[in-house]
Amino acid sequence: MVRAALSGRQIGKGPVLYAGFIPAISVVAASLLAALPIVSSSGWYPDFGYLVLISWRLLRSDPWPAWWAAPLGLVNDLFTGAPVGLSITLWTATMLALDLIDRRTMWRDYWIEWGLATVLLAIDEWLQWRLAAAVGADVTGWAIVPPLIVSICVFPMSAWLVARIDRWRLGR
Amino acid sequence: MATARPGWSRRAQYGLFFSFLALIAGIIVGVIMLVLSLVAPKSYEGIRGVALDITGPIAASLHSVTATAKGLVTGAGDYWDAASQNANLRREGAEMRRQILKANAILQENSQLKAALQLRERTRDAIAAGRIVGSSFSSPRRFAILSVGANDGVRVGMPVRSADGLVGRVIDAGALASRVLLVSDRANIVPARLLRGGIPVISQGRGDGTIDVRPLEVGRNPFKRGDIIITSGTGGLYPPLVPIARVVKLDDDGAVAIPLADPANTSFAIVEPAYEPAATDAESVAGPGGP
Repeated sequence: MVRAALSGRQIGKGPVLYAGFIPAISVVAASLLAALPIVSSSGWYPDFGYLVLISWRLLRSDPWPAWWAAPLGLVNDLFTGAPVGLSITLWTATMLALDLIDRRTMWRDYWIEWGLATVLLAIDEWLQWRLAAAVGADVTGWAIVPPLIVSICVFPMSAWLVARIDRWRLGR
Repeated sequence: MATARPGWSRRAQYGLFFSFLALIAGIIVGVIMLVLSLVAPKSYEGIRGVALDITGPIAASLHSVTATAKGLVTGAGDYWDAASQNANLRREGAEMRRQILKANAILQENSQLKAALQLRERTRDAIAAGRIVGSSFSSPRRFAILSVGANDGVRVGMPVRSADGLVGRVIDAGALASRVLLVSDRANIVPARLLRGGIPVISQGRGDGTIDVRPLEVGRNPFKRGDIIITSGTGGLYPPLVPIARVVKLDDDGAVAIPLADPANTSFAIVEPAYEPAATDAESVAGPGGP
């Protein structure tokens, strides 16, 4: 056991105020990145809200009560201009799926988390692609590959950032 | 919820069970809302407008920062090799002046001919002018956010253009900002024609910033590299004679073109009333092709 007095940490430093809300706030902030004045003609940017959501959920099982995924998804849909309901469904289903996966898995490491994130991001891109096709914007399947690769490569960064935020909010 | 059973506590077990129920309820609600937004996109007009009013002004205020930064970079680039640029510009300027003279003569002749035919000119006044301050990031759809909204008279369905060419049409209008379906979106189909020869073509976005153009009549591929595509005014939504795109690549039965109005570099976009208002009425009944 590492003794608190020897670890170089400040004693008596606890969680920051409203620590329980910070994960959800960070997801909303990531959704709000859509308000950045960047005009992308290719749409290769990752889905920031979803990236941060799965980063939190893969980091810990209780970043927020599971049902919060639905209102967070609604906020994301409204800010990013996606069809309303897409993120609500996908984000809640993600929480449920990861809960079920957590019951099965015996152990986890970075590679498994990255693999899980890859699968989830691929489902996200695929769903967006099929939904766009359903409303008359049937782009070729190759069009979703570059944004998928970009978001898979960005995931470790988002996971790192979320881990930093988690340590800060818990005062560790 | 990480384990199958959170221990012997009844309370914890029920908590786990109810959180599963809440998740399933959330999924059901989400699916219902999604289906609603696919079949009746109008039902979310109000709430989407509010969201636009939140993000639009943020983007607009940050836009000036990025524009300044971008301007500094390109401004520095302009000094590079200034002498030869100067000579090129001078040559282009002279060429342009000759073309303007020619165009003026044609305009005069055109107005005489129109007077002879007693054609009525439709006046098209701009409704509002705004800046393109953002776009969809991560989606196969291509939207842009325009810094003018319903307060300035912008309504869903109105065409948007810039000095360079056609930008798209309005699909969501908040009070302070609006969302524009760009011509490079797959769902944006624009009746068009070739500037050279006037062959009727159809322009449809490819979702990646480029445009597919196809001739209306199947047969020989009429396109050449560098061809300019302009709107034909058919359908009544987009005004005629607005440049859309320049052909960059030919394929088997059409060509790939790049929009002339690059939304990333368009400083001002002008919202115009629909060319024939009846067309947008039909449009708004059918829905704007979905968000």
